[in-house]
Amino acid sequence: MRTETALSFVRWRHGWIAYLVWLGVALSAAAAPAQNARVSGRVRKADSDAPVARAQVRVEGPTLVGRENSQIIQKVKSDGTYQVEVPPGAYELWVTAPDFEEVKLHVDVAVGDAVVRHFELRPLQRSPYRVETLRLPQQMIGEVSGVAFTPKGSLVVTNRRGEVWIRGYADGAWRRFASGVYEGFGLVANDESDVVVIQRPEITRLRDTNGDGIADVYETVADDWGITGSYHEFSYGLARDKAGNLYASSGLCSFGRGVDLPWVRGPLQTEQFMPWTGKGPVPDGHRSVAQYQGWAFQISPSGKLVPFASGFRQPLGVGVSPQDELFISDCPGAWIPTSTLTHVEKGGFYGHPDSLKWHPDYKDRKMTIEQLAELRRLPSITLPRGLMGTSPGQPIWDLTGGKFGPFGGQVFLGDVSSLLMRVDLEKIAGAYQGAAFPFLRGQGLRIGGMHNAFGPDGALYIAQTVRGWMSTEGNEGIQRVVWTGEMPTEIQTLRLTDKGFALRFTAAMGVSAGEPRNYQVRRFQYNYHPQDGSLRINQVDVPIAAARLEPDGRALELELVELQPGYVYEFVVNRNVTSRMGSPLLNLTAYYTLNRLKNGETKPGPSRLVAKAAEPLRAGDPMRGAEVYRLNCLVCHQADGKGSKQVGTPDYTMAGGPLSKADDELIAVIAEGKLPTPPGVLAMPPWGNVLPPQAIRDVVAYLRKEFQKPAP
Amino acid sequence: MNVNASRRRWWTRGVAFACLLFAWPGHWGVAAPVAERLAVCLVGAGEHSERALATLRPFLEKTHNVNCTLAPTDLKTGGTRSLEMLRTAQAAIFYHGPGALGAADAAILREFLHSGKGFVVLGAMREPWSSMPGFIEEVLGATPGGSFAGGERLTVINLFPHPIFGGVTRFETEQAMPAFAKLADDAEMIMEGTVGEETTPLAWVRRRPAGRLCHLVPAAESVILDPAYQQIVGNALLWVCGRPIPNAVPAVQRTFMPDSFPGSIAITFPNGPGVCLDPVRGGINYVWDGDFVDLRPRWLTKQGAPARIFGDVFYREKLWQPLRLGSPGSEPHFRFRGYALKADGPEFHYEIDGRDVYETIRALEDGKGISRQFRIGPGKQSLWVNLEAQHGAEVVARGVESDGNACCFPSHAAGEFTIEIRRKTGGGIR
Repeated sequence: MRTETALSFVRWRHGWIAYLVWLGVALSAAAAPAQNARVSGRVRKADSDAPVARAQVRVEGPTLVGRENSQIIQKVKSDGTYQVEVPPGAYELWVTAPDFEEVKLHVDVAVGDAVVRHFELRPLQRSPYRVETLRLPQQMIGEVSGVAFTPKGSLVVTNRRGEVWIRGYADGAWRRFASGVYEGFGLVANDESDVVVIQRPEITRLRDTNGDGIADVYETVADDWGITGSYHEFSYGLARDKAGNLYASSGLCSFGRGVDLPWVRGPLQTEQFMPWTGKGPVPDGHRSVAQYQGWAFQISPSGKLVPFASGFRQPLGVGVSPQDELFISDCPGAWIPTSTLTHVEKGGFYGHPDSLKWHPDYKDRKMTIEQLAELRRLPSITLPRGLMGTSPGQPIWDLTGGKFGPFGGQVFLGDVSSLLMRVDLEKIAGAYQGAAFPFLRGQGLRIGGMHNAFGPDGALYIAQTVRGWMSTEGNEGIQRVVWTGEMPTEIQTLRLTDKGFALRFTAAMGVSAGEPRNYQVRRFQYNYHPQDGSLRINQVDVPIAAARLEPDGRALELELVELQPGYVYEFVVNRNVTSRMGSPLLNLTAYYTLNRLKNGETKPGPSRLVAKAAEPLRAGDPMRGAEVYRLNCLVCHQADGKGSKQVGTPDYTMAGGPLSKADDELIAVIAEGKLPTPPGVLAMPPWGNVLPPQAIRDVVAYLRKEFQKPAP
Repeated sequence: MNVNASRRRWWTRGVAFACLLFAWPGHWGVAAPVAERLAVCLVGAGEHSERALATLRPFLEKTHNVNCTLAPTDLKTGGTRSLEMLRTAQAAIFYHGPGALGAADAAILREFLHSGKGFVVLGAMREPWSSMPGFIEEVLGATPGGSFAGGERLTVINLFPHPIFGGVTRFETEQAMPAFAKLADDAEMIMEGTVGEETTPLAWVRRRPAGRLCHLVPAAESVILDPAYQQIVGNALLWVCGRPIPNAVPAVQRTFMPDSFPGSIAITFPNGPGVCLDPVRGGINYVWDGDFVDLRPRWLTKQGAPARIFGDVFYREKLWQPLRLGSPGSEPHFRFRGYALKADGPEFHYEIDGRDVYETIRALEDGKGISRQFRIGPGKQSLWVNLEAQHGAEVVARGVESDGNACCFPSHAAGEFTIEIRRKTGGGIR
């Protein structure tokens, strides 16, 4: 990965001469022993020494931010052990596993450190929702990507291999209704002989006109958007409103890794709308290369495609609310700091600027990040990385009339991970926002929940595929989640009040639910920037001023000492909060996306709350700096610090060279970059948005120790 | 010759012709002309093989127009007593393999395998082919490798669109499968089994100059009893002999084809050829001598590669949107509107500047080319089809004016015309 990144960088900057320089350096770097730190340990069950099945370790930290994937995700081995190698730095490690509570910890590592951290995972409460796996015909390839029901109740699915299958409502027998479509992704079923499917190149209506149960007409409904041959390019959807308009979307395609695009439908634009000015290659290579990539579309009943809204990265989940409003979920990466669920309005721009290339009003404009931020409409729901997955699926509203439990009217959406989420939306000052809860993790729920549909039985049917993204051991297909009828103990709703939040529980809660100390409330924001995702920023604990539990034990009002818009509020409930019957809450965490206060205010005001002070900067550590240099500087500045004439980098070993300057000056150059000194033509890029301040100090210390000659 | 005699003679000839016409089998709903019955030699080794082949024989004779002869097996040696009848057979089915062979029979078998005649192998095993060392690797084109997925039941049996599966809608089995690996480059895998994330080839075909072959890995006794399996075996027999397969229909698959815009369409006809139709360019990108397209490169990894075709390309076209309205040089507004599946070939629907054009693509009877039948809706301007010079194929337009560079359908009323593309002898251009 590092080699690939460096390769792109060199090509970008200096052409073939620099390539040769790089090649030599890369070969020597490859031969050099790794100087990463190692974190290893074991993940086991809290109540026994047994390993936890299907556990994953995720690592996140500032030194990973500049990578294409800013998280390291690693499967824990079957014996429970794990080991990750990371550059020196500070990291959050967290471990997740189906049926177990997640565990998080912080670790600081230096070059060559071998840190051991063990994890003990406590089992999750058993939910009164049963996960059942549907047995599929042996002839069906189980990469099921879309699911819907006909009005009569037949189950209709499509898969990545381009088939559409129908399980008849009357006899329960499966038949292959259609085949040969190109990556079917979602569908709307008019009836048992008429299905609309979205495939990579178009929306297609499949009709059986001769009554043999097999579609014989494949009618193009709409195809007015661009497509390329990129592997990482998808056409998402499909949802329909009451007027018969269809909604779909197109993701950006992966372009930053040298993907060859010889064939493109429609116009081709490879230049970025917002050129990457940071160090090295673009951290997230997703671009709107073909027309309307990164857009949502509306397709009228007559087949007219209207580019509806822009600014999406991978708008995977497309759903229409009972009020006929379009909602889209998007996946994190550049400009989309974490997963989102957004109420999408016509003409709206939702974050990723590359799609603006195709916007009549913006395509020729140069915009700053500040202007983009102003233009951007905020997601209705922020789904924080980690507990709330990584790639959310299609949102669907529970309109089962209670057959699915006590969450009628709420939104459910899956994720590429083994997770089903629940969202409680509310309209505040004219705009949607609300709370997200993890709903089901484990209990046999598989990964890859991209689409879902409520069946006539009130169960939630989930189409599951990961398209080769990760190992599934073949466990893809369709599952249904069935409510057993037992009342789950949950936070039913979490709503905004003038001074805090109102929680409603599904069960009468005991007195512990009324004690403020049993709730930890914290707020944070994300960076809106071109890097892959964002760490939490401006995170502070928000003390609870008062908690009032209603006498019936079902409603709780939490008054916070301060309520500011523009933050995500994280609620963590102590496990000792139980119902009057002694049942603990099934899920202890919730996230409320507070874009607007009830009075419509969207801008945060002055705060009385102080973020936990950042760790003071230490003196530079040359040992840590050596690794930072090796990973980030060596390509241009060379292992011996003598620089390169071809590249135009200076000789650090030279008397009177750059190292004759003071530390502060060097730090400023590294952080802010520097224009070229003739005859050099290439600028030193700024590193301040890639390396944390301490790392820059460390690298200066390394330069001095390694290359600075003592004054004569 | 007087006039009456002449009239009588013509009258007599007319009656005789009418009688002949009436007696023609087509009038009675029978396929015509009736193909010669295929002489097939069934070869097995041992009692189990005899039983299996005896099960297959009546089905094949009844439904696939073949005469089967069963090579006698030697129960003592587990081998075949005589392969003499292979000399006169037009095709063969080997159940597992021929077993132990004497020198004379081994020579007959070698001769057969190089004769250009086709054969089907059901469940090849190393031991029954011990008298032909290297047969499985070199002729079948794969390496056997023990039991697949520890003998677990297959979760998926994937029948890729191939004429051999004509008329088969479902084939399921509980049989534990032997594993095969290292498929030869020219082997076209047409059936694949899956357990978890592991896959194994369950059937493949090869078009060797020395004769076509098909290997079906499933061959347990329970499988032999399955009518779907019997249908597959019968179809495979016809395929290795190059005969038409009843119920086999053209396959239409939208995918990413080589040298094409994404979302191009692979059309494969049961007896060939294969066609790549490009809805973006608005024409047929190429026609190749084959009846199968392998989409596995597209599916097996997240990156994906274009689909793979087998066989020579003999027609290639690159002109941008060759269907034009008004003049051959006009800039068309071309829209692809979809297609309808019909028994003999798909009918595509385009709109050229709002004028409806339907194109039905059919295979020529001998599989050496295609016929493009255009059905034009009414319009205000003539329809032009720009043509491209071809080295590997002859292009003939019928029912339309053509100067070799373009065809012109001048009528403003609805109508039809046809363009036939036929491979020239030895006309591969790839």
